[in-house]
Amino acid sequence: MKQQLARSLKRLAMKDRKIIFITGDLGFNAFEELQKTMQDRFINAGVAEHNMITLAAGLAYMGFKPWIYSIAPFITIKVLEEIRNDVSLTKSDIKIIGLGAGFDYGIAGPTHHAIQDVGAVLSLPNMKVYAPGFIEDVDTVIDKIYRYKGPVYLRLSKEEKAKLKVPQYAPLRRINRGAKVTVVALGNIIQEVIKASFLLKDNLRSIDIWIVSELPLKFEQKLIDSIKRTRKLIVVEEHVSTGGLGAYLSSYLMKNYPMVVKQFTHKCVQGYKSRNYGDRQFHLRENDLDAESIFSTLKTFTS
Amino acid sequence: MRQFSLFMLQRQLRLKILKIANLSKSSHCHIGSCLSCIDILIQTLIYEMGERDKFVLSKGHASLALYVVLNYLGKISDKTLSTYFQNNTKLGIHTPSTLQRDIPLGTGSLGHGLSFSCGLALGNLMANKQNPRNVYCLISDGECNEGAIWEAALFATAHKLYNLIIIVDKNGLQAFGKTKDILGDGAAIEKWKSFGFNTYECDGHNLNELKRVFNEIKINVGSRPNIVICKTVRGKGLKVIENKVVSNYVSVDEKLLNSIYL
Repeated sequence: MKQQLARSLKRLAMKDRKIIFITGDLGFNAFEELQKTMQDRFINAGVAEHNMITLAAGLAYMGFKPWIYSIAPFITIKVLEEIRNDVSLTKSDIKIIGLGAGFDYGIAGPTHHAIQDVGAVLSLPNMKVYAPGFIEDVDTVIDKIYRYKGPVYLRLSKEEKAKLKVPQYAPLRRINRGAKVTVVALGNIIQEVIKASFLLKDNLRSIDIWIVSELPLKFEQKLIDSIKRTRKLIVVEEHVSTGGLGAYLSSYLMKNYPMVVKQFTHKCVQGYKSRNYGDRQFHLRENDLDAESIFSTLKTFTS
Repeated sequence: MRQFSLFMLQRQLRLKILKIANLSKSSHCHIGSCLSCIDILIQTLIYEMGERDKFVLSKGHASLALYVVLNYLGKISDKTLSTYFQNNTKLGIHTPSTLQRDIPLGTGSLGHGLSFSCGLALGNLMANKQNPRNVYCLISDGECNEGAIWEAALFATAHKLYNLIIIVDKNGLQAFGKTKDILGDGAAIEKWKSFGFNTYECDGHNLNELKRVFNEIKINVGSRPNIVICKTVRGKGLKVIENKVVSNYVSVDEKLLNSIYL
């Protein structure tokens, strides 16, 4: 998604001279072209993220539109207070872009993983989180958050292009129509859900698959109808249970449709069981979030 | 005559701070810090700042001193000022973000104001290269403990923010001890020189000295950001609490109020 981000931003930056791109010293082999286009509006703020966030707030106050970029944990959890005091409380028009949703940075280790970012950011007032599922989403999402005049956290992944026809971007999309169980995933982990659903073969028609790409979200009736029909709900996210989609959706259902779900599971990040390092798939497996593990859950729910 | 009227102004605003603190009956007004930086605020806000210049009180706990100066300037009404420390007030212990446009940042957590000021200064330079407006940022020597101060200092020099003027209220004390005994002197002139700043020093309670330094800054326009290190006394004007850590934890009773010697 990083390359697509650079292309989309280049397009916007050419037409809007108020846009300023600020990176925390990252973007090698991806942002060179953007840098050439934006010239002095492309700022490498160095490995100094605390300064970068509040600096952006100052620029936004002066009427500029800062887009700030780093690896996801370094631009969310590391600088949460700067985001709260100087971005979210002030409703500043600042776009925070974090690369590396969930376990994307794999063997780089826990310091580089973003598994608490959504909850942390969403706990702050006025913040919106965008979690695209596919590379194809990125251009539309960039346009959408550009038009929105307020603070946004964009959670990008290092996901490769998916081997399917991606439905047009929307905050909530149905990926597959089915009758027995409703599966709702946050952002790019949808691709593991899709792989798992292919393993079901003939039973594919039994699962209703949805992707959520924006939080907070007013859940549309079509999703509620699906849950009412199946009464079985699986939420999947590459994020801890606190503060993410599962917490958000289950709280929404408890408030509005308290008895609607009779079977529920929340497939989310449990942590680092072995305390060993590995690639994204290693960590997904350790957390029962890889396609095989999701497949097992789907089988249980559809049998 | 001018000297006398300046002195009277310093005394008048000090008294105002103390009376408001007295009415609040609270020990949380950070009286020591307010009295430490009131003279800097007088010179900066009343005599130095031009139209469209910006001021950031990074040491937001001294906000009562700022309110009193803004009240003198007619930017905060007597009525609003009288709500200080009451429920539903716009004037907190720490500076809100809802003051007028030349005081843009709500502060309270130390170490934010300088980065924000860098953003303001850079934005000014980008918007108007020929005649950028000045950005004044008041920090404290204790605040130089914060890592973000040094991130911002590096940025300010790297981006040649010559329209940035940092003012340090260097009273040598922080929340729980002497600055030199905790992490050392973060407001040491050689530190800021080595970071590439134009450095100035003066007595932070002497308006004439402050004026002289600001005039020098106006003349010495180059590519470097500026820092004015002001030697100050926490609690200045109240002998019993001067230069004492406790100065930020006392409530102002009648006896203390009447002991003002300035």
